[in-house]
Amino acid sequence: MTPPRLLFRRLRFVWVFLLGLVGLDVALRLNHKTWERHSPDGYTERVEGCAAERRDVVFVGGSPVAEGINPALIGGVNWRGERLTNHYAVGLSGGTTSDVYFATLHACPKPPRVLVYGITASDLNDSRHEPHGANSLLTLADLADWQRTRPEAAEWVTRHFWQARLSEVWAAYRYRHGVKLWAASLCPQCCPVTAEEADRQRTIGEQVASQRGYAPTRWFDRSYEQMKAGGWEQPPFEYLARYRTGSHLKYLHRLIDWAEANNVTVVLIDMPTTADLERRHPAEFAEFRQRLAEVVAVRGVPVLRATRETVGLTDQHFADLIHPNPAGAAVLSGWLKAELERIGNETSRVVRGAAP
Amino acid sequence: MIFAGREFFLFLPIVLLVYHLLPRRAARYGWLTLASWVFYAWASPGYLWVILLLTGIDWWAGRRIAANDDTRLRKRWLLLSIVSNLGLLAVFKYAAFVTDNALSLAKVFGVTADRTWELLLPLGISFHTFQGISYTVDVYRRQIPAVRSLLDYALFVAFFPQMAAGPIVRAVEFLPQMTTPPKVTAKQIEDGLRLFVGGLFKKLFIADQLHALFVGPVFENPAAYDAAVLRWAAVAWAVQIYCDFSGYTDVAIGVAKWFGFELPANFHLPYLANSITDFWRRWHLSLSTWLRDYLYFPLGGSRCGPVRAYLNLLLVFVLCGLWHGAAWHWLVYGLYNGVLMVVHRQYDQLTASANWRRSWWWAVLAHAGTLYQLVVGLVLIRMTSWAGGGLMFGALVGLSHDPAGEAAFRGVPVLVFPLLLLGVAGHLWALVPKGEWLRERLAPVGGLGYAAAVGLLVCFGPGATQSFIYIAF
Repeated sequence: MTPPRLLFRRLRFVWVFLLGLVGLDVALRLNHKTWERHSPDGYTERVEGCAAERRDVVFVGGSPVAEGINPALIGGVNWRGERLTNHYAVGLSGGTTSDVYFATLHACPKPPRVLVYGITASDLNDSRHEPHGANSLLTLADLADWQRTRPEAAEWVTRHFWQARLSEVWAAYRYRHGVKLWAASLCPQCCPVTAEEADRQRTIGEQVASQRGYAPTRWFDRSYEQMKAGGWEQPPFEYLARYRTGSHLKYLHRLIDWAEANNVTVVLIDMPTTADLERRHPAEFAEFRQRLAEVVAVRGVPVLRATRETVGLTDQHFADLIHPNPAGAAVLSGWLKAELERIGNETSRVVRGAAP
Repeated sequence: MIFAGREFFLFLPIVLLVYHLLPRRAARYGWLTLASWVFYAWASPGYLWVILLLTGIDWWAGRRIAANDDTRLRKRWLLLSIVSNLGLLAVFKYAAFVTDNALSLAKVFGVTADRTWELLLPLGISFHTFQGISYTVDVYRRQIPAVRSLLDYALFVAFFPQMAAGPIVRAVEFLPQMTTPPKVTAKQIEDGLRLFVGGLFKKLFIADQLHALFVGPVFENPAAYDAAVLRWAAVAWAVQIYCDFSGYTDVAIGVAKWFGFELPANFHLPYLANSITDFWRRWHLSLSTWLRDYLYFPLGGSRCGPVRAYLNLLLVFVLCGLWHGAAWHWLVYGLYNGVLMVVHRQYDQLTASANWRRSWWWAVLAHAGTLYQLVVGLVLIRMTSWAGGGLMFGALVGLSHDPAGEAAFRGVPVLVFPLLLLGVAGHLWALVPKGEWLRERLAPVGGLGYAAAVGLLVCFGPGATQSFIYIAF
């Protein structure tokens, strides 16, 4: 048996190496804000940004909300005779209704007056498993809730949840992307491609902070109409593949339960898409709208059908099959403001009429 | 499975832990062999039969060769082993190449047909077939006894650290270490750690970055770049392939040490070579010595007169080229090296007694000239088309358009230069006088440097998507 002192001396290099790793870990954790600033997590940034203060109106949804609703253009909406000014958009790119539910819980510790959920057919597609929500949104309690509510996706969410937690154990691994982008921004000519990515990420972070969650994707500043005219054809829309509903839908009911319990008015918007997408997936959209109609019938939640014609959108307002471009976002946000005021006035009359 | 893959970082600790917890020799070797087969079958389990079949044939052939005194019978068993190994290697590696060329030739005679099948290359087949052949030949030559235990032989062939891309381990080097499970010493743990981290750093931080940042894009479309950029890309490729392959070997040797095994070195500062002959004594040593002992010497070596010796050299290098890959450019690469070897041998004999060969300026010139030959040759194995290769050669020999006053570094990402320096840091360190003395003084804090290297490769490595170059051979 080798005495411990001798073993320590013999393995001095290994101990120093391990000490170095620990030192590195501590140094990276102490500077975590720098790395997070250079590689913002879109979900976390928006959820934390929204939770920072009490909001009047919170817009939630997947990427159509992230790209299509600009809270700055809806500010000052007249709601039951009161001007609501503090808006925030929690648009989760790639998010499903399950993700939206958990994002809402964490983004609204102080419940808002109005919660607007811009929902679309892909949000309810049970064939979709998007890891970002499991990685960024869920707490241990949320995980247990998900396992109970959606047992068919329990294994999947558990695996991704714990993978994400494990990857946070080692700071070098956790912050590797942020460190790389930070270094690239220090010396842009060293690695131009990474420096460009660093610039893009920094812009997103700044926009999320300054534009109340609205940070349109840079390459979505284009026109679907022009792209089509140029011969571009969008590849198959995988988010509606193998369409089936029921499991994510449970979380739509849970969201409405939460809103009722917290005296929050929920408004659902059936988000606009291009005519091409609806032509490609008529059965999927029919099933989606059937489900929405059932929710309205059972829960009495108002649904705004944001059709292209109603809102005034054409293919030139879209960046692809489903995402509005900044011009489309402006049109949609203007329409939404007017619609919210209309609903506010109607419900106000109902409330006034019902009052003794 | 590859060393830099995520699954390997789960696989390795489990295999190591269980191996050292198992008390008995048979259990340990059984576990290690099983783990090695899992490693082998990870990507394509359908090919496990290849290594199992060859293991069985070579082990049995070795036993029969050792048990027989009749030379004719011994030769038959040896032939069975060689034909089995080379036969499977030929089918998997060269069948598509031969078929494609036959079909191209048939087109000349008006017969049009396309190859409709595809064969994946089983992991490490170029390496473990050579190990199998060396074993049965050594038994035939009575240089080693035949292995009694099939399990021991299976572990020798499949030992996962070196199975995918070498070094090609000889039975005489490995089997004596297996008599009793070797105990791991503190020095082996330390050296293994240095090699493991250093190898991954070479691969992930230097080779993969050079590929992603510079070498890949330039070789993909050389027409889009200036001659100066093409020259730098050729140099960067030389550093990339060295860091990729020597990085793999370092990891292999390091991991083997953690199991208590010593594998032979595969590199010895190859870019410090002062001739092409010297280079092949420093680069992929286990292959060059294998070709010398099992091909060049049996062909007669240099004992049958100069003409025959030169032909033997040419043949060995052409086959060496083809061993790397079944393609015409590999054949040309082998031929290029063979011709250089012949020319150098002739030159060596003619000028052996010249005094100027011992001067410092000649040493510098010899280093520079050798490096130039190597860089030119390496373009052959990286070019994506003959036209692209032609542009690279034009730049390297000064034939390409080179605008007057063109900046020597314009168009080269700044990060490439520190990466190149890091890639040859080991070579430069060897040139530093008192390098060993410094190394000893730095040893206490050396661990911090390796920890920093881990941080760098985790944060700045482009990930594990880029496979090791030599695994494809």
